[in-house]
Amino acid sequence: MSLPCGTRNYNYAEDMAIVRTKTHWVLLIALLVIIFTAPLYFGNYWLGVMNLIGITLIAAIGLNILVGYCGQLSIGHAGFIAVGAYTAAILTNRLEMPFLVGLIGAGVVSGLIGIVFGLPSVRVKGFYLAITTIAAQFIIIWVINHWGYTGGFLGIKVPYASIGGLVFRSESSQFYLITIIAVLCVFFAKNLARTKVGRAFIAIRDNDLAAEVMGVNLLYYKLLAFFIGCFFAGIAGALLAHWIGFLNAEQFSFTESILYVGMIIIGGLGTSVGPIFGVIFIRILQQLLTMELVPFLESTFTNFPSGFATGVTPMLFGLVIVLFLILEPRGLAHRWALFKSAYRLWPFSY
Amino acid sequence: MNNKRLIIAVIICLALIVAALPFLSACGGDKEGRTLKVGITTPTTGKAAEKGAPMGHGNLDCFEYINNELGGVEGYQIEVVWRDNGYDAAKVATIVKSFMDEGCLLFTTSSSAMMTASMEIANRAGFPGMAAFSSPIIYRPPQHIYGQMPDYGDDFLVFAKYYMDNIWKGSGKPKMALHLLNNSTGAGARDAARAYAADLGIEIVATEEHASTTTSEMESLTRIKALNPDVLYISSTPAPTAVVVKNAYELGMFPGITIGSGHAGFTSALVDIAGADITEGVYGVFPTVNWGDDVPAMAKMTEYIKKNHAEDYEKKNMDYITCWAQSLIVAEILKEAVNNAGYDALAAGDANSWKALEEQGIQKLKDYDVGGLHGPVSYTAGDNRLSKSVRVFQVQNGEIVPLTDWIDAPVVKYEEFDWFGK
Repeated sequence: MSLPCGTRNYNYAEDMAIVRTKTHWVLLIALLVIIFTAPLYFGNYWLGVMNLIGITLIAAIGLNILVGYCGQLSIGHAGFIAVGAYTAAILTNRLEMPFLVGLIGAGVVSGLIGIVFGLPSVRVKGFYLAITTIAAQFIIIWVINHWGYTGGFLGIKVPYASIGGLVFRSESSQFYLITIIAVLCVFFAKNLARTKVGRAFIAIRDNDLAAEVMGVNLLYYKLLAFFIGCFFAGIAGALLAHWIGFLNAEQFSFTESILYVGMIIIGGLGTSVGPIFGVIFIRILQQLLTMELVPFLESTFTNFPSGFATGVTPMLFGLVIVLFLILEPRGLAHRWALFKSAYRLWPFSY
Repeated sequence: MNNKRLIIAVIICLALIVAALPFLSACGGDKEGRTLKVGITTPTTGKAAEKGAPMGHGNLDCFEYINNELGGVEGYQIEVVWRDNGYDAAKVATIVKSFMDEGCLLFTTSSSAMMTASMEIANRAGFPGMAAFSSPIIYRPPQHIYGQMPDYGDDFLVFAKYYMDNIWKGSGKPKMALHLLNNSTGAGARDAARAYAADLGIEIVATEEHASTTTSEMESLTRIKALNPDVLYISSTPAPTAVVVKNAYELGMFPGITIGSGHAGFTSALVDIAGADITEGVYGVFPTVNWGDDVPAMAKMTEYIKKNHAEDYEKKNMDYITCWAQSLIVAEILKEAVNNAGYDALAAGDANSWKALEEQGIQKLKDYDVGGLHGPVSYTAGDNRLSKSVRVFQVQNGEIVPLTDWIDAPVVKYEEFDWFGK
């Protein structure tokens, strides 16, 4: 059996490639085949869960660019998702524009709103910036609730997504739409981190004073990070709107914003795979506790009163996250990196 | 050689088991093992747990009673798929999809917010749903979602009419202030006021909003106090309603003005949180009877709540009653559907079964008496509210005491108003 003793690059193209070896290609193709054939072996419920994961992933990638790469703490991400969702709803429902216009419009409007709320980042950072983004969350939700065009407290209907004559009615067709956009977003984020912009973000995160001395325009790059992060949030919001079909401001709670920060921390801040791991971990954990564990406990311990097991869900959810942060504070991406290193060096791990 | 024999023996055994399966299933009764599946979701955890938990208990206890003591529906056991949604919109969307996937014939939610978050998924698929608490947006215009009881707009209309007929003794138009939860619970009352307050002879002088997490409304009530209203109407959940009532008491507004509450906030939890002395004299509307009332279903319901959830009984929780009644209505719908469409039409739990259940079950409901727990349940074409009646109550000596018999709330076609939903 021949084992690799290293990957050598013979030209710049090879050095820059994301997928560098045959093994990478095989694994990537296998993963894509598994993902895109999922509708063949999953029912609507699990496809729905995967759609939710895909939408959440797009938003989390945006937050990871903003927080993980550029170091600008945002705790109002659900608010920016709401901007995208309502923009798509207004464009496609009230103005009867095509889905793609709504989708791009959602990203752009959300990105622009992100720039507005990102302006304080020029002067403040850390916890102070976090407070301004919390304000964004509350201001956005207040406007949504009180602006007649959004349907206010009553909410607004959103039609099915459609491109040309193709209407995405079924869960599986929506799955393909969401997954393709999510894959493109992952690819974009992975590449962004390797560009001049990505390096500027990382420089600002690590030491903004040093970055400025090196010639990085702080105002430009911080606002660009807000635009890109919120653009992704807007795209996720638009997809969520078309997937759920009805919007109400209560769907974009402050708790949801905090959960997004939790996802990228658990996944691994400032890594391209971190949001993927974090989102899958949190969403699957939520589903397993709600759909599997509680019904199992209820049906097993029938001597207890009905509903006794519900308290288990929030307790276990909190416990798992706390244990996770204690035992693997650098996130699942770090565990993944360790695994890859061990694989590469096997059988000489040390 | 031994292995070969073993494999042959295993294959023969498996073949025998497979062949015997039809006979084994035939050994049971004709309807044994055949169930009618329903999906129930309640916010048993999360920020609405004070209402969601007892509502879930009411649902599940009632199905236990129906299955164990009544033998199910027409001999078929009701299989309940129950999920806690944690008052989380994303979670409830996947829960409703799971109900559809698992072959449920209909689903119920307790809160209007959770129904709002999931209703379009159900409407798109033609999957019938029923919300215990509802706001007009859920079924105006009517589709596949039904309201168990009158909505928050109906509460306002009944209370306002009662106020004008029985409480208001002054001359001219009474001045009313609204204090509303910043979601569909408050919006329902606001829209009803916008549509009919003038017709009822009431002047709305202020509309204030609060969040479900509010801890003080001194500022908004100070603004209201300056307008010298005669009556304050609150449409919210118990905890914020308690805050508003307490703050009105502390500002010296109440007693003095009349306070009325919609049904989402008017439960024993309101009296517990705000205190019996402070809530004394507060009016409210509620679409069910209270504990201890002399109605046919009370004895069995009391037996189950004492057995399974004594803590709800000690608090005299009326939300439990609501969802016990909801489960009875679900059973009646299933009964109508089995009788009119037949079990086989429902067995698949697919789109055809949902259509059969809706047309041959829900839409066949006619004056169904929920053991007297709330008003009669009927389907009327163009009106997806199943029960249309509420009663006016008042807090007297720490108890919620009924003042009226059932009062029917009128049908309001909100979609005909230009401003509705805009």
